[in-house]
Amino acid sequence: MLTAKLQNGIAFTIPVFGGIPVADSVLTSWILMALIMICVLLTVRRLKPDRPGRVQSLLEMAVSFLNRFAEENIGRHWRSFAPWLGTVAVYIACANLSGILGLTPPTKDVSVTAGLAITSVFLIYGGSFRFLGLRGGFHKFAEPLPLLLPINVMEIAIRPLSLCMRLFGNVLGSFVIMELIKALVPVAVPVAFSLYFDIFDGFIQTIVFVFLTALFTGEALEQEA
Amino acid sequence: MFVAIGAAIAVLTGIGAGIGIGIATGKATEAIARQPEAASQIRSNLLLGCALAEATAIYGFVIGLAIIILK
Repeated sequence: MLTAKLQNGIAFTIPVFGGIPVADSVLTSWILMALIMICVLLTVRRLKPDRPGRVQSLLEMAVSFLNRFAEENIGRHWRSFAPWLGTVAVYIACANLSGILGLTPPTKDVSVTAGLAITSVFLIYGGSFRFLGLRGGFHKFAEPLPLLLPINVMEIAIRPLSLCMRLFGNVLGSFVIMELIKALVPVAVPVAFSLYFDIFDGFIQTIVFVFLTALFTGEALEQEA
Repeated sequence: MFVAIGAAIAVLTGIGAGIGIGIATGKATEAIARQPEAASQIRSNLLLGCALAEATAIYGFVIGLAIIILK
């Protein structure tokens, strides 16, 4: 019964090319994307550059916080990475919190977290080659010692694996515990636990994912003085 | 039966992560008490360390689930 809930269900099938199955996680992602887009379009309309309202100052605070965070962790080339970090943070936070609305969190599907982790790795190594040049990017693998070359090459695979499994395992873990509590005591008690497992853990995992990506990127862009 | 025992053994990785995060948080609290002005830096390092230490527990959990579901 519980193991059935752990499987990632198929929401519906698009009836072209012999039927393309659409997973639950994809459907929830689409719903979240639509909600975020509507929120953004509604808020952005009322922003004015000369007379900032309360919403605008809040947004400006959030953006400058993100920029400062990126600058501290990535360093000189932070500007091209900050928007990506912010986007991923918003998506993962909404995805983790969607459990409260009764949707299945998309991050419970290992494919979603794997996708996020692979994009992170492209960002890290792509940024390294983009800002250090082809030679500098390859030379990065032989730092700090040429002896560490195999370990640095292995990290290309280890980093996305650990990023992916960390997010997936945490979300799935809290999902399993919540289901067990709901099966044990269906009334009132799950709400208190939901505060911790859905909201607090969801936020912590968002921060951890973005923070680790920023840290790895900063390390990949570091130049020898 | 043996499947459940195997999964239980895999989840024992949680012990190490618990001890590790406990030590890290204790030391971080000490450090913040000694130097409150460095609190933000200590906090970000603590978060990183906890995330890395916690990963072992998560691996154990994922492997335990994989043993049960994929047996």
